[in-house]
Order: sequence, then structure tokens, then C-alpha cells
Amino acid sequence: MRLNKKLKYLQIAFNRSMPEVHQMINLLPASERIIIEAGTPFVKQYGQDGIASLKGWWDAKLQAGRRSYIVADLKCMDRGSTEVGAAASAGASAATCLGLAPIETIDEFIKKCQQSNIDSMIDMMNVEFPFEILPKLKKLPDIVVLHRGVDEGIRNREKQLPLHLIHRIKGTYNLVISLAGGETVKEVISSYFNDADVVVVWRPFYEEPQETSSLAQEFLKTIK
Amino acid sequence: MDSAGKIINDIVNALINIGFFLLIIFVIWIRIKKQKGGGRLNFEDIFKSLSSVAKPPTDTKPPAVPQPPASDTVQSNTAKPGMELMALTGVFNKLLAPVPVAKLKKRQKYLQIALNSTLNEAREIIYKLPRSESILVEVGTPLIKIYGQKAIRDIKAISPAGTYIVADTKTADLADREVAMVAQAGAHAATCLGVAPIETIDVFIEECVKYSIDSMIDMMNVERPLMILKQLKKLPDVVILHRGVDESEFSKEKQIPYYQIQQIKGNFNISVSVAGGDTSREVQRAFFNNADIVVVWKDFYQSTSDTASLAQSFLNNIKTK
Repeated sequence: MRLNKKLKYLQIAFNRSMPEVHQMINLLPASERIIIEAGTPFVKQYGQDGIASLKGWWDAKLQAGRRSYIVADLKCMDRGSTEVGAAASAGASAATCLGLAPIETIDEFIKKCQQSNIDSMIDMMNVEFPFEILPKLKKLPDIVVLHRGVDEGIRNREKQLPLHLIHRIKGTYNLVISLAGGETVKEVISSYFNDADVVVVWRPFYEEPQETSSLAQEFLKTIK
Repeated sequence: MDSAGKIINDIVNALINIGFFLLIIFVIWIRIKKQKGGGRLNFEDIFKSLSSVAKPPTDTKPPAVPQPPASDTVQSNTAKPGMELMALTGVFNKLLAPVPVAKLKKRQKYLQIALNSTLNEAREIIYKLPRSESILVEVGTPLIKIYGQKAIRDIKAISPAGTYIVADTKTADLADREVAMVAQAGAHAATCLGVAPIETIDVFIEECVKYSIDSMIDMMNVERPLMILKQLKKLPDVVILHRGVDESEFSKEKQIPYYQIQQIKGNFNISVSVAGGDTSREVQRAFFNNADIVVVWKDFYQSTSDTASLAQSFLNNIKTK
């Protein structure tokens, strides 16, 4: 496990083009509590090169002494082992697998993550009962991501962030919980109040690169 | 006046020559027409006809069955005199062959070759594949995640012109971005997961229509594909019934759901693709069960020529039906 369980993290997902992402990363405050995510469309567009560049830029920004944490949002559905190996060798610190994938794939994914010495994240997007998947696994993942998809959030305003699940999972398992899909500052803050360890954001960053740094700074100030 | 007579003589000679030349061409043309019984002419026929004019007419019989283009090169390897010309004509024919239209036809059977490991291996496989409209090339998910958009561009560049390229994006969210990316790279179809939120699948199909590429919904780990299809605003072009690689490796008893092919085709007018078979028998079984597309891939223990021979036997099979 590469994350400190006692700390709260802000994970920022990047899905834009390389130059824009580079600009955004340069605007971020240098802190180990900020996690950089290579979003699925970003990975599919730039591949291993994209992950390696993100790591290079963030390492340069953090400077020596601080460890960068890069998440490759692979959303594995099959052939987990090939993809995890590729992400790890590109410099990722964690990779994601879909909770919707066959149990065999998730098991293989977690095993391969341990072999490659990176954190395993299981993304529970569209999974109705995440705590029903966990007991079926041979080994627990490091992080569980509770998720409301972007398309869901835009198309279907009634869908809520699954905040109530955080405690249900934490009560049973000793896992780190990450919450994805919040689109407003209010949602982000209420996620931390509901005991999420990591909150994944992307929305405000589409609109203005400057908002990236201001939200990150606000996070570092308010959430300790 | 002498010179004027010479000029007239030259002109007459030239006219006679041209006339003679035209006559020869006409005769050849008539011969070929007779042999082929109409239809498009190509270089090979003309050369054949020319050589039969030069040689005694014992071997002028045209082949009873039209030869597939791939066998031209095989023929040329047998070292008969005058066969170098035939090899050349084979090349000419390949260059002149009509570029296959990259759109799926209903009622036609397709074999989809999935490329998953590295770009080098993909190149090896593509070079060995027989050229045919019925063979689709898939850029596998691992290739896309390792090389990015470049994987699609490179494979398109390696493949023969007009090859139908499927980008196995396995989209689960942010469908608009992924479809745009795939369409820009030049793919003809993209895939979306059936387990994804319905909103994502709807956006995915809409975007595919917008970019005029085919939408494929991959039903891996979906228990009842029909239930998903009924919830959609618009139907996809293709539904993929899937048994995952990890699944088939670690629990052998999981079967490809063949009965669902008819179930889907009975309810909706869409093409069904079956993924997860890797032997010639499984491919046949899928087609026998009315699948339109069968997806195959090369396993670690297989050689690239096995994949090529699987493709060849598929082509032979669909011809005889």
C-alpha cells in the first residue's frame, strides 16, 4: 500500500490533450496529498507515453524528497494482467479494474498488481451492491472506488453519490475508500465528511485551468 | 513528287499497321469475352490470352473455378517457364482489385481477428492474413491502452487499404471523448461495455451515429443482454456475446451463450458477433448457430501462421456454403 491511511487525498483526473494537461499540472500546488490520475480516455489516446509524461511532469513539480502518486484509470474488464504490467512499467502507482468485470478478472488483476508492486483499485461504477462483490474475491484490493459515472451525472440528475456506502464498507473491511463523481465543491467536501479517504474530481477542471489550483489549494487548507 | 509519293506510302503503311494492331486487340478481346462469359477484364486474362496465342492451344482451358487472389502467388512459386509473367500479373491484379467497402453487410459472415499483444506481432499476423472483405481487424483493448490512438493509426496503415478496423475501446464512461478519439484515428467501429450505465451506452450509440461509425455493445458479464437492449433509446449496429479470456482460462466450464444469438436476432434486427472462440471448431459452431461475426485471437501458445490458416479455412468454408 503506497497511500498513507491516515491522510486524506484529492485525486485529480486528467482527460484533456497533453499540452493542456501539462499546463494544468504546473498550476497545481506541490503536495503529496494530491494524486494525479490518467483518465481512461487519456490512457486510450496516449497509452504508456501519456502515463510516463504525467509522472515526469508531476515529479518535476513535486521536486526531490516527495513521492508522486499516479493512478492509471485502466478500467480493466478483461486481460487484466497485460494492462497492469504495461501501466506499472510506465510508472503508475495504482491501476483500476471495473467491479463489473468477471470475478476471475478482478482476482487476476489484484494478483498482478501485487506482483508489480502497485496499488489495486476496484471501481464500483454501476455496481448496485459493492459489498456483495468483495466477499467473492480471493484477496481484497487496496482501494475501493465508489463511482457515479460522468455520463450518468449529466443525463440523470437524480442519481446520487453513494455516500452511505462508505461506512458500510469501512465497517466490515479495512480498506481505503475513494469517491468519484462529485461535481461541485459542496459534493467534494461532503464526501470527506462522510469519511472518504480519497475524492476524485474532474468537472471544474474542464472549464478553467485556473480553477484547478484554487480548488486544490482550498482542499489542502480545509481538509487536514 | 517522289518525296510526296513516299509520304503517302508511309501513311498507308502506318494505317495498315494500326489496323492490324487493332484487329489483334479485337481478336484477343473476343477470346476473353468467350472464356469469361462476360464480366470485368483484368490483366491476368489478357496475359493468359496472349500466351495462349503464342503457345499451342492445348493449355488454353480457363480454370473452372475462379481462383482467389491469394493463390496467385502460390501458383507463381512453381517454376514453370513463363510463369514470372503470371506472378507480375498477380501483383497487378492485387493493385487493381476493387477496394472493399468498409461497411458491414447483413447476411454476410465475417471473421474478426483480434490483435492484442504488440504492434510487431500485429504486423506479422496482418501480413499473413488472406486478403478478403470478410476479414475484419480488431485493435485489442491492451494495444489501445499501451500505445494509445497510435495503435489504431498504425494497424490501419499496416492493413490492406479498405480493411474494416474495429477499435475495442470497451468504453465504460465518457463515451463522447472515446468515440471521437477512435473516429479521428480512422476506425470503422468502436465497442462499449454492456455493463456500463445505460446513459453511457446511449451517449455512445449517439456519438457513433454522429461520426458515422458502427456501434458494438460488448455483453461480457451481462446475464441478460435482451434486458439491456430494451432499455436503450436507439439500437446499436452490433451486439457482441462474450466469454472473457480470464474467465475461460480460470473457469473452463463457462460456455459461450450460443442460444442468445437466436434470442437477440428474433427480437431485434441487428448483427450478432460472438467472441471467445479460438479453435476452428468453435468458429464453425458459432456460425452454425447463426452468428454474423466471430472474433478470434491468437493465444500465447499459438503461432501466427495458425491464425492465418484459421482465417483461410474460414474463407474456404463460407465459399462452399
